[in-house]
Amino acid sequence: MLSATSGGRGSGLGFAMPAILLLLAFFVIPVAFLLMRSVTEPAPGLQNYATLLGSTTYAKIFFNTFFVAGVVTAITVLIAFPVAWALAIMPARWSAVIFAVILLSMWTNLLARTYAWMVLLQQTGLINRMLKAIGLIDQPLQLTNNLIGVTIGMVYIMLPFMILPLLGVIRKIDPAILQAAALCGATRAQALRRVLLPLAGPGLASGGLMVFVMSLGYFVTPSLLGGTANMMLAELIAQQVQSLVNWGMGGAAAFVLLVVTLGLYAVQLRFFDQAEAR
Amino acid sequence: MTTPFLHINGIRKTYGDVVATDHVELSIAEGEFMTFLGPSGSGKSTTLYILAGFQDPTAGDIRLRGQSILRTPSHKRNIGMVFQRYTLFPHLSVGENVAFPLRVRRMGQAEVAAKVKRALSLVRLDGFEDRMPARMSGGQQQRVALARALVYDPPVLLMDEPLSALDKKLREEIQFEIRRIHQETGVTILYVTHDQEEALRLSDRIAIFNRGKIEQVGTGPELYANPATHFVADFIGDSAFLSGRLASLKGGRAAIRFEGGQQIVDVPLHGAGQEGQAADLMLRPERMELTPEAGPAGASLPVTVQDITFLGNCTSVAARTDWGDALTVRLNFGHPLAGRVARGDRLNVRWSPEAAHAFVRG
Amino acid sequence: MLLDFDKLGAWKWALSAICAVMALFLLLPILFIVALSFGSSRWLIFPPPGWTLKWYEELFADPRWIGAALTSAKIGVIVMVLSVVLGLLASMALVRGTFRGRAVLRAFFLTPMVLPVVIVAVALYAAFLRLGLNGTLPGFVIAHLIVALPFAIITISGALETFDPSIEDAAILCGASPWEARLRVTLPGIRHGLFSAAIFSFLISWDEVVLAIFMASPALQTLPVKVWTTLRQDLTPVIAAASTLLVALTVILMIVAALIRKGKSE
Repeated sequence: MLSATSGGRGSGLGFAMPAILLLLAFFVIPVAFLLMRSVTEPAPGLQNYATLLGSTTYAKIFFNTFFVAGVVTAITVLIAFPVAWALAIMPARWSAVIFAVILLSMWTNLLARTYAWMVLLQQTGLINRMLKAIGLIDQPLQLTNNLIGVTIGMVYIMLPFMILPLLGVIRKIDPAILQAAALCGATRAQALRRVLLPLAGPGLASGGLMVFVMSLGYFVTPSLLGGTANMMLAELIAQQVQSLVNWGMGGAAAFVLLVVTLGLYAVQLRFFDQAEAR
Repeated sequence: MTTPFLHINGIRKTYGDVVATDHVELSIAEGEFMTFLGPSGSGKSTTLYILAGFQDPTAGDIRLRGQSILRTPSHKRNIGMVFQRYTLFPHLSVGENVAFPLRVRRMGQAEVAAKVKRALSLVRLDGFEDRMPARMSGGQQQRVALARALVYDPPVLLMDEPLSALDKKLREEIQFEIRRIHQETGVTILYVTHDQEEALRLSDRIAIFNRGKIEQVGTGPELYANPATHFVADFIGDSAFLSGRLASLKGGRAAIRFEGGQQIVDVPLHGAGQEGQAADLMLRPERMELTPEAGPAGASLPVTVQDITFLGNCTSVAARTDWGDALTVRLNFGHPLAGRVARGDRLNVRWSPEAAHAFVRG
Repeated sequence: MLLDFDKLGAWKWALSAICAVMALFLLLPILFIVALSFGSSRWLIFPPPGWTLKWYEELFADPRWIGAALTSAKIGVIVMVLSVVLGLLASMALVRGTFRGRAVLRAFFLTPMVLPVVIVAVALYAAFLRLGLNGTLPGFVIAHLIVALPFAIITISGALETFDPSIEDAAILCGASPWEARLRVTLPGIRHGLFSAAIFSFLISWDEVVLAIFMASPALQTLPVKVWTTLRQDLTPVIAAASTLLVALTVILMIVAALIRKGKSE
């Protein structure tokens, strides 16, 4: 510990001070104030929460939020597992190409990606015209300004966040364990169900939880692809504060989102600790 | 001629230009303990993987009781295997690991329980059913792997360096267990190792692999007493090799001349050679003796002492011939020379004539 | 043998097919915008009736687009520098410090990454309204710094953890002062981590939308804000042109990052 103590006197905590002060002043205190306003504005009390949790308008927003997050997570997990599995074992030349595509899509500007889907999914867009050309539909489908568009756009954005951690988990599984399963007499389907899936399980669960949590608080894609009629929680917060200048309600909605998010992360941390300890 | 129990028939495996195994030919009797011994990359593991069905041979066939098994996928071959790495299913308890082969065969609950109990008892892990693999030592895990590989009574058990991750003492303990289990079950075992001591300790017969080929097959004493090739002689036993040239040949025996002009006559010659060709004289360490005075001509050479190391039960003396070849001679504890020999001493190394073999180099 | 590609039989083709379809799903929208940006149809007909550069001309002729891009770049560079400096100091404390509660402090540093950005945005918006920082350059920088810092800390502390502190001790025993040792031994040793943190921080600021929407004023807005406000009005091909330039930037930065990784492994 020579190097830690001999230069700066003390324990090294001083080095962290600029970052700590920055976060205190511009993160902790502002968030705390925002949450406080939910119980002080327009008048002290819990009436904001009563309205938020009691009315059907808001219930629909909560439903939209959790429903979309759930569907997005399910689809993402279903696609990501076979993809990560294949990436882990396919010849390096192929996997490098697919890996590059995943990174490119992940790093491409969020608005650019969302814009692409807005154009692709609109009534006169490529998808509708292709479906019509092959005779699947007569009338263009309504794919934007509703939850279908939001779901497609979100799956597109979330896929890399699911594939990459899962790939790490599957790469760590010793192929000899699957060889052992085969010699023990397990068919491919049995080995998949009884060995590979359980071993990839912690990765699937924690990746899925992460995607779910991220989806809950997403703002950009739902507001551009979902339209105002199909609002989600993050849009509600922004709308209350920016358009309606109703800080009390905005704060209350933010508090609900914060509690759900932190709660699910706590579940995830516990889950990971247990998986590590095993 | 009767059909052999297990017949490895001209197996060849190439990866592009690299030849992993080349016409490996071997017959194994039922109940035999056969070890594949060789350095890494010699093709012994590849042969085992082909038996397991993890790899397909480029050419050749493998027959079990006369039936080719190459077209049978791994999970239908009914072969047991213990791997080099720990391959227990980490999410299953010890009992469920051992039960796994029975469950995928859809065996009844009561029968599974009885068989698991018997298998665990065979590897002396009675009562460990509920333990998780991560909470066990490496030795215990390999015993569970052994129980899992034997619980469905496979006719053949493959073992791929199963003890290489364990320390020496534990290794010897489990080697003893493996012998006992082999005797109790009568299962045919194919065992891969690069450790000659382990091979000698365990096997009925040993196949020595080198560069994708089997150099020699035989029991331990056969291989030690009569190595067919330079490689086998080098791989089994810590022998000394002294380099010289063939001086004369007659009926499988030869004379070797060393650089200094000394000549050793009438040693058995292995490999085809002609006069003047480079050849090595092999000497087994336990057949060599260090003496102050020269021995009979043809079975003695002068050497210079380079280093002396005390090893407890013996003293190891490293010496060099006049032309620079190194050899090591052991003096048992209490040997009259042991306390007196010093670096730089000129001594003579002698051997009994029947202990020397000549190998053509190349 | 589910983890041996050549032993998967028919499953091999099923997995490959899923992979290929997914790769197309990820790639096609990006190629699609690039194609549209050169297409002559204002209504974004695909395939385009003709090819043109007029959307790029329109983009570069509009001082508001250029101004927004310059603002984004300025904010990005400042955020990058501050994020690496603060991230390096914080990482030194986390990795080399001896004080208690380092794990808690690390969790604290990472919370802005975990929380939905919209909460941070709304909270900062309220605070900046009072402090008069809304629509100012410092306001943008602070907001982006809050979300970029966790990534810088993860990257730099990761690099520091793999750098053996006894090398620094050895330099001190050779006669270097502790500060000299840090500057001449440790910093060069973790330079790949610092580069990655810098690229990350810049990209996060450059691409950030949600905070920027709340921080922006009509007089000062970043490129994503300009895209956002334009998008809400209509889907003009000018956005395709802007997006294509953003994709090009991404590709360049990915190549730079790959080169850095390559340099690290050598």
